[in-house]
Amino acid sequence: MKKWFSLGLVGLSSAYLAYGLQTLDILDFSGRPGAGYFPLIIGGLMLLATAINAVLDFREARLGEMHPLQLDPSTEGTAELMGVDAHSLDGRRRFPRDVLIILALLSGFIFLLPVLGALAAMIVLMLAYLFTFNQAELLTNVLYALALPAFLYWLFSIMLNASLPVGPLRF
Amino acid sequence: MLMDIFANLAFGLSIAVTPTSLLFLMIGAFVGMIVGLFPGFGPAAGIAVLIPMTLGLEPTVAIIMLAGIYYGSMYGGTITSILINTPGESATVASTLDGYPLAQKGRAGPALVMQAIASFIGGTIGVVLITALAPLLAEFAASFGPSEYFLIITLGLLLLTTMMGDNKFKGLISALIGFAIGTVGVDVMSGQQRYTFGSPELIGGVYFVAVAIGLFGIGELLHCIYNGLHLRPAKKLRLSFKSKEFWPTRFDYIESRFTFFRGSIIGFVAGVLPGSGATLGSIIGYSVEKKLARDPENFGKGEMRGLVAPETANNAASAGAMVPLLSLGIPGSGATAVLLGAFMMWGLQPGPLLIVNDPGFVWGLVASMYLGNVILVALSIFAIPLFVKFLDIPYRLVVPVIVLLCVIGAFAIHASIIETWILFLAGVLGFAMKLYGYSPAATVLALVLGGMAEETFLQSLIISNGTLYVFIERPVSLTLLCILIAVAVVPMCLALRRRLRRTQAQE
Repeated sequence: MKKWFSLGLVGLSSAYLAYGLQTLDILDFSGRPGAGYFPLIIGGLMLLATAINAVLDFREARLGEMHPLQLDPSTEGTAELMGVDAHSLDGRRRFPRDVLIILALLSGFIFLLPVLGALAAMIVLMLAYLFTFNQAELLTNVLYALALPAFLYWLFSIMLNASLPVGPLRF
Repeated sequence: MLMDIFANLAFGLSIAVTPTSLLFLMIGAFVGMIVGLFPGFGPAAGIAVLIPMTLGLEPTVAIIMLAGIYYGSMYGGTITSILINTPGESATVASTLDGYPLAQKGRAGPALVMQAIASFIGGTIGVVLITALAPLLAEFAASFGPSEYFLIITLGLLLLTTMMGDNKFKGLISALIGFAIGTVGVDVMSGQQRYTFGSPELIGGVYFVAVAIGLFGIGELLHCIYNGLHLRPAKKLRLSFKSKEFWPTRFDYIESRFTFFRGSIIGFVAGVLPGSGATLGSIIGYSVEKKLARDPENFGKGEMRGLVAPETANNAASAGAMVPLLSLGIPGSGATAVLLGAFMMWGLQPGPLLIVNDPGFVWGLVASMYLGNVILVALSIFAIPLFVKFLDIPYRLVVPVIVLLCVIGAFAIHASIIETWILFLAGVLGFAMKLYGYSPAATVLALVLGGMAEETFLQSLIISNGTLYVFIERPVSLTLLCILIAVAVVPMCLALRRRLRRTQAQE
C-alpha cells in the first residue's frame, strides 16, 4: 500500500499543477507575479518530490527492503535509545478492518448530521459504535450513548451557543 | 533589563490572575494531563480538538487554556511511562527507560513525585528564559523585511523536515502538501479564486482548524485503532500516597540537584530550535546525563537521574518552543503550529510586533505559564490517584468521545458541513501519513504559515523587481540563506560520506 500511496501523491501533484496552469495567471498584466505564481512553484516542487519519492518506494519494494509501515513515535524513540532497529521491537497485530468500520461510522455520522440533527445523529453513532466494539455491556452502552451526546449537546449548543445542525425534532 | 522583565511579568500577572483566567488555566492544565495520559493522543491533537470549546471565551483566556493543555500534556504523559511502561506521548519515551524500572523496584511513588518536581523546575526555568529572550528576539526581528521572513519560514520548515531521520524527503512532501492546501481560496494580491472549483464554501480557503483536527485528532485515533489500542484491557492500578514510601528520599534530591538544571538548559535550547522540540530534547537530556554520570551502568535499571533529566528537558523544551512562536510568529512543532492557528483565529497578528501591539496577551500568557506550572505540580503530586483512575477507562470507550468532539467541534466553528467533510478527508490523509512515515505536523505548519510565506515571497520579488538578489543583499537574509543551504546540504554530504566509507569498507 505504501508504494500506491506514493503513486497517488504523484497523481494529486500532477492534477494540482495541471489545474493551476490551466486556470491561474502566472503573471499579471503588469508583468508582476500573479495568482498562479506561487502555486506553480509549489506544484512543480511537489511533482518533482513525489515522483522521486515514488521511484524510491517502488525500488525499495522491488528490493524487498521496504518496511510497510511507519511505527509509532514511542516505538521509534525506544528503539533509538536502545540503538536497535525499531521494526525489530514491533511484533503487533494490526486491525485494518476496525479502521474501516470507524471510517464507515464516521462518514455515516457526518451524512446523518444535517438529516437527523446533532443530538439524534450523535446517539445513533454512539449506539452503532458501542454495539460493535463493546457488545458485552448492554446497559452501560445505552446509558453512555444517551449521556455523552446529551452532555456535548448541552456544552456546545447551550453553554457555548454554537449552532449545531437541527433535525426534524428541532434538536 | 531585569527591571523590564519584572515589570512585564507583573503586568502579565495582573492579566492572568483573574478568576476566569485561573479557572480556564486549571481546566486547560487538567485536560492537558488527561490528554498526556492516553497514548497516541498528543498535545497537538488535544489542542486542535479543544479549540472549538474556546469559542465563547475572550482571546487571552482561550489561549491561556490551550497553552495549559500544551504543557500539561508533558506532565500527564510521564504517569503512564512510569506506571505501565507506555509513554503517553513521544516526548516522554525517554522517561520510561528509568521510570518503569523504578516502579518495578517498588519506587513508583518517589518516581512520580520526582517527575512532577523535575517537570516543574524544567517548565519554570523555561518560562524564565522565555521572559528574558522573547523580547530581545522580537526587538531584533522587528527590523526584518519580507525576504528575511520568507527565509525564516523556510528554515523552520526545513529544520522540521530534516529532524525526521530517514524520512526527510517525506517530511518535505508533507510540508508541500500543507502549502498546496493553503493556496485554496482567494489570492490576496490579485483577488483571483484558486482551486475553489466554483464552490462558494472554498472562497475563504480551507480552514486550518478542520484540517488540524482531522490530521491530528482523527488521524491519530485511526492509527491507535489500527494498532489495536481499542482492544487492550484497561490496567487496574492502585496507588496510595499516604505511606512513607510514596515520597522521594533526601538522597534522590541531592543526587539529582545538577540534573535539574542541565536537563532544563538542554531542553530549552532544543525547544527553541524549530523541529527538534520536546522529544529530541528529552532524548539528548537523557543521553548527556548518562554520559556525565560516574555510574552509567545504573541507567536503565531504575536510576532517578535517568528520569529527572528527560523530564526537566521535555518541559523546558515545551517552554522553549514558545520563544520563536511569540517573538517571530514561527512555530517549531505541530502543537505550536496549532496554537499559532488559534492566535490567528482570535484575530492576533503573530510576529515580532505581537509583543508591542498585544503586550497584555503575550505577558498574560507567559505569566499564566508560571501559574500553570504551580498548578500542575500540585495536580501531579496530589491528584495522582485520580489520574491513575483515568487509566481504568478502556480506550474503546474513549474513542466515541474523541470522534464526537472532533466532528461537532469542526462543525460548530462555522456551522459548515463542508468543513466536517474536510475533517473526514484530513483524518484519512493523517492516518495514511502516520502509517507511511509522512509528517502531519509539517503539513499543518505549512498550512498555517503558507499565506505568510507566499505573501513575503511575492513582496520580496516585487521590491527587487522580480530578481532573487533581495535574498542576498541584506546581511541578515544572506546569513539566513547560508544557514538554510547548510541545513539542506550538510546532511546530504554526511550521508554521501557515510555511503562512500561503507562502500570502501566492503571493498
